[in-house]
Amino acid sequence: MKIQVRVNKLPIELVSRTDETLLAALRRAGFQSVRLTCGIGVCGVCTVLIDGSPISSCLVLAPAAAGREITTTEGLADDDPVAVAFQEVSAFQCGYCTPGFVLTARALLAETPNPSDLEIRHAMAGNLCRCGSYLKITKAVRLAATRSRLDSN
Amino acid sequence: MIEEPEWHSPSTLDEAIALKSRLGEAGVVVAGGTFTGILVANGLIKPKAFIHLAKVQGLDGIDVGEELRLGALTTHRRVELSPSIRQSSWSCVADCFGLVASPRIRNQATVGGVLCDADYASDPPTLLVALGARVRLRGRAGEREMQVADFIRDHYQTALGADELLLEVVIPQPPVHVKYVKFLSRSSEDRPCVGVAVAADIDEGGLCRSLRVVVGAVSGRPQEFPEACGVALGERMTIDIANEIGRRYSDLTPTLSDVRGSAAYRRRLIAVLVRRSLEPLAA
Amino acid sequence: MMLDPRITGRIQYAQDQHMPGMLHARILRSPYAHARIVSINTAAVPRDVVCLTRDDVTDLEPLYGPMVKDQPVVARERVLHVGDSVVAVAAPTLREAEAALEAVEVEYEEMTGVFDPVEAAGDSSPVLHESLDYPPDLRPDGRNVCHRFRLQSGLGEDGFAGADVVMEEAFSIAGAAHVPMEPHATLAYWEGGRLHVITGTQTPFNVRRDLAALFRLPEERVRVVVAPMGGSFGAKTFMRLEAVTAALARKSGRPVRAVLTRAEEFVTLNRHPARFRIRLGAKRDGTFVAKSVDAWWDTGAYADCGPSVCTKGGYAAIGPYRIPNVTVDSRCVYTNHPPAGAFRGYAATQGVWASERMTDLMANRLQMDPLELRLQNLLRDGDRFATGEILQDVRFADCLRAAAEMVEWGSDRKNKGLAVMLKGMQTPSRTGVALDIDAGGRVVVRSATTDMGQRPEPTQRALASQALGLPMEDIVVGPNDTDLVPFDTRTTSSRSTFMMSNAIREAAAELRRRIADRLEVASEDLVLDGEGAGVRGTPGRRVALSDLAGLRAEGSFATPGGLDPDTGQGVASSHWHQSAAAAEVTVDSETGVTTIKRLHTSVYAGQVVDRPGAELQNEGSTIFGIGTALLEAIEFADGQVTNGNLSDYEIPSILDVPDFTYDFVEGGQHAHGLGEMAVPVVPAAIGNAVAAAGYRMLDLPMTAERIVDARPAR
Repeated sequence: MKIQVRVNKLPIELVSRTDETLLAALRRAGFQSVRLTCGIGVCGVCTVLIDGSPISSCLVLAPAAAGREITTTEGLADDDPVAVAFQEVSAFQCGYCTPGFVLTARALLAETPNPSDLEIRHAMAGNLCRCGSYLKITKAVRLAATRSRLDSN
Repeated sequence: MIEEPEWHSPSTLDEAIALKSRLGEAGVVVAGGTFTGILVANGLIKPKAFIHLAKVQGLDGIDVGEELRLGALTTHRRVELSPSIRQSSWSCVADCFGLVASPRIRNQATVGGVLCDADYASDPPTLLVALGARVRLRGRAGEREMQVADFIRDHYQTALGADELLLEVVIPQPPVHVKYVKFLSRSSEDRPCVGVAVAADIDEGGLCRSLRVVVGAVSGRPQEFPEACGVALGERMTIDIANEIGRRYSDLTPTLSDVRGSAAYRRRLIAVLVRRSLEPLAA
Repeated sequence: MMLDPRITGRIQYAQDQHMPGMLHARILRSPYAHARIVSINTAAVPRDVVCLTRDDVTDLEPLYGPMVKDQPVVARERVLHVGDSVVAVAAPTLREAEAALEAVEVEYEEMTGVFDPVEAAGDSSPVLHESLDYPPDLRPDGRNVCHRFRLQSGLGEDGFAGADVVMEEAFSIAGAAHVPMEPHATLAYWEGGRLHVITGTQTPFNVRRDLAALFRLPEERVRVVVAPMGGSFGAKTFMRLEAVTAALARKSGRPVRAVLTRAEEFVTLNRHPARFRIRLGAKRDGTFVAKSVDAWWDTGAYADCGPSVCTKGGYAAIGPYRIPNVTVDSRCVYTNHPPAGAFRGYAATQGVWASERMTDLMANRLQMDPLELRLQNLLRDGDRFATGEILQDVRFADCLRAAAEMVEWGSDRKNKGLAVMLKGMQTPSRTGVALDIDAGGRVVVRSATTDMGQRPEPTQRALASQALGLPMEDIVVGPNDTDLVPFDTRTTSSRSTFMMSNAIREAAAELRRRIADRLEVASEDLVLDGEGAGVRGTPGRRVALSDLAGLRAEGSFATPGGLDPDTGQGVASSHWHQSAAAAEVTVDSETGVTTIKRLHTSVYAGQVVDRPGAELQNEGSTIFGIGTALLEAIEFADGQVTNGNLSDYEIPSILDVPDFTYDFVEGGQHAHGLGEMAVPVVPAAIGNAVAAAGYRMLDLPMTAERIVDARPAR
C-alpha cells in the first residue's frame, strides 16, 4: 500500500503493508532516527510528532497516518533551541532514546512555553533512558525553555 | 508473499457497522489504535481486515450539558486538557483520563477504545462505574444503552455485539465529592496496581446521602459492593466508618496476582486505600 | 552549531548497517528449559530462505565460550534453556524470515530442569554439560559447578574464636535484565576469504579470537568492526549473534544481519541471580575479627564469564575492611535458566549488598553508629586486603565521609543508610593504542575502546592532546576495526580510561621521538603545537604535521595479576574502584512504597579527563542502582521468563529518580574508571536506610510488597 504523508514538511510516499507500523514504514523510507525498543508504546524511543503531538510510531498502523504531518529529528534545524540545549548540556549518552526526548521536549515547549521542573519531568516521564541522562535532559529542556522565552521577549 | 489485511476507512457510521457485520471476527476495529497496534506489531493477531474509524463523522466530541457526553473517538488527551470539562463538575473525569499511561498514549488512545478493550489494569473504567456512566451502542438492529458496569464483563470481555460499535459515553451529573486514586506499587510509569473511585453526596448537615466506592485493577472488572457502603448512609463520615468500609471491601473484593502485586498484597491495599479515599469526607 | 549525530538521530548503529543482497536472520528458540531434540524438519521452509541447523556446523569447532567452551552455534542434542537457539534462518525480508520459523518443525522430549544453583549442585540434579574442556585457571567442582573460587586468609574459619559477637545471615539478589535501548545487532559477510563482522560489541578482540577458533581460521582472517551501541551495560560482550550470523552468511554466500527482538533480549544474557550466606565476627569494640562468605551464582545454561563474576563477587563481599581472618567459598553453577554474564557493577552489586547489609546488622547488634563501625575498620594506605595485596591510594574513608555528610548523618540517622565498597578492575589486562598522522595533518587515535554510550572519544582526544601538547581540534579518533587498532583486552570493568591514559602516554612519547628523529633533533627540543612541529630555540624550523603524514607510534600498558582460585591470594586488581553512597528514605508503612528523599554517591575519580562524560556515567550508574534497589527482577517460572517486556519489567523513569547528588574525589596521578561505581553502593545504602526505617530487608529488589511484608521491628 502507498501512503501519502508529509515528513519534516516534505511530501513523502510511504510504502507499507496495512499491518505494518508507521515505525517500520518510516525506517524503510530512510528515517533511522525512529527506532524500535519495546514495541508496546511504553519507552518512547519511537516517538514522532504527528501534527505536532508526540505519538508512539510503533503503535500506529501505517495507513492510519495518511495525510498527516510527521516530524522526526532528521528535520531539525541546526539552531533548533532544544537540539542546541541538548548539545550544550551534553544531555545524552548512547543517543538511542535522544530523538524521542528531543521531539517530546519540542512538543512540550510548544504547548507550555514556561514549564516548571515538575511539568518538564511529567512530560518526559513516558520516555525511558537506560543510560540515565535524566538529570541533564531536564536541565537541557529548562535551558531551551528559558532561551525560547527570552527570544520571544 | 503473505497476504496483507484489507484496510477499510469508512466515512459513515452505517458503513462502519455494515463492514463490522460482514467481516465478523475477521475484522478488527481500529479507533486510536494503541491496543490494536500492540497486538498486530507483536504478531498476536493476524486479522483479515481493519476497520479504521478515524474518518467516521460525529464520533469525536465533548458535550458538556446536563450530562457529559464523550464521543468514542475522543482521545484521552482531549478529555484531559478540555477547558469545558475542567471548568465543569466533571473535572475529576479529566483528571482520571490524564493519569493514563503517558502523553503519547493519551494522544492516541480513545474513550471508546479503553472501554471496548476492557483491560483490567485501566483507570477510566473504575471512575466511570462510580459515576454511573452509560455507553451508547449501535448495531444493525438499532441503538441501546447500558451501564459501563454491565458493559465490561471481564478482562478483555465486553457486552459489545458482533455488529455493534460504541458511539459515546454518557456521564450523569456527579455528586459533589468525587475522587479517583491510582495506586502505583512500582515505577511512576506503571499501570495501576489498585484504582479506587469514590463518589459521595454529603448534605448541609454533614450527613452522607449517597456513596459509591469502586475498586479497579484488582480483578477482571471494576468491583463495587453497595452493601458495604450502607454503614455510611445517613451518617457523618468518620475515620471508623471509613476504616469499616475499607475492611469490608478488602474482604469482599476478589483480587488477582500479577507483576504489580500479589492477591494478598492487593487485599491489604484495598483496605488502606479505600479508607484513605474516604477519610477526607470526615473533615 | 554542529549537532551531534545522536541528537539528529543520524548516528548509525549496527542495526542501521546495510549491504547489497543482505539477508535478514531470525532464530527459532526452544520453548523448553531442558529437552532432548528428537528431530528437526525444515522441509516446509521456502526455497529462498536459508536454514541453519546443527547439521550445517559439523565442520566447525563444536563449542565456544569466553571462559569455558560450552555453547554451540545452534543446539545439538539438547536444549538447555528457554530461548536456546535451535535453528536459524535468513531470508530476503524480515517478514519472510519470521514466516520461515513457523515452517520449521522441531520435536522435543522434555527433561527435568533445575533452576536453583544449590539444587543444581546436588546429587539428584540433571547434569547439564558432559565432559567440557575446562581451562587450567578454573575449578569445576562436582555436579554443574563450573567454577569454585575459594579464599582463605589468616586463620580462616578458626578466626571466629577470637570474636566476642558472631552474626550470620542469608541474602539474595534477583537476576536482572540489562535493557539496552538498542537490541543486539550484527551483520556478517565473507569476502576475500575473510570473515567480516560489523557488530555492537564491547569485546572486539574476544569476538575475533572466538570466531577464528570456531571457524578454524587464523585470527588475521577475521575482522571485527565495532558499531556504536545504543547501550550495552555488559549485554553485548563476548560472542552473542556473531557466530550464528557468520554461519548463516557462510551457508548463504550473502551478507546476513540479525537484530534481536525485545523478548529475545530477556533470554540472551542477564545478570546472575545470587545467594549469600555471610558470617561476621567482631570484638565488642567493633573491630572486625573474622568473616566468611558463602556464595552461589546462577550462571544459567552457559557459563559465559560466570567464573569471573563468581570470583569478583566473592571477594567484593569481603568489603573494604581490615579483617585478619577471611574465608570465601563462591560457586558458579549451571542451571536451566538463560545464561548470565557481565552486567554493569559486575558482581560487586550482589557482593556489596550482602556485605554492607551485614555491616549494618553488626552495627545494630553492637549498638554502634554504622558510620563509626565502618570508619574504624576501613582499609587504609598500606593495609593488606584479604587477597594478600597491599592497597595504595586508598580513599574509602574520604568517600564515605563525604556521602555521610551530604545526608547530615551527624544530626540524626533516622531512615538513613550508608554503604562503601571496593570493586576490582579486570586484571590481568592489556591495552594498546596507536597514534598516527594522517594526510590532513591530524593525529589519529587508534584504539579498540568501544562506545556503548560512555562516549570515549572526547576522553581519547583529551588524553592524546594532553600527552602530545597538541590542541584537541588536531586530534581525531579512527574507526574501531580490528584491522586498524592494536589489541585491547575489552571495554568492560570501567578499565578503559585508566588503561588508555597509560597507553596513550607511551604512544605519545614514542610519536614525539619519531617526529624528533625526522626533524633530526632531540626529543626534548621538539615543540608540538597548533602550527605543527618546531624546534625549541629555532623559530625558523617549522614542519606542518601534514608533511609528517604516515608517521605512527604505538604504546601499550599491561597490568599483570590474577588470583589463585584455591587460596584467593595474588593480585585481584591492579587498580581498585572505590566509592560510597548515603541514602535517606521515607517508607509508607501501610503500602511499603519507598521514596528516596536524599541520595548521594562519592566516587574516587582521580584525574577527571572529560567532565561531562564523567558526570553522565555517574548519574547513569546511580540510576541503575535505584532500579536494582527498588524495581528490577527477572521473574522465572520453571525456567520461563514471565516478565520479558518493558511494561512488566520496569526500569526507572524520570519520575522514579530523585534529585540526587554526587561528588568526585579527585587527585592522584591516575584517571579512574567511573562507569560502574555507583551501581553497587546505591542499593546497599538504600537497603540500610530502609532497615533504619524499621524494615529488615535481606533480598533485592526491595519492592513495596516485600517491604510491607517485613513488619517493622519493635
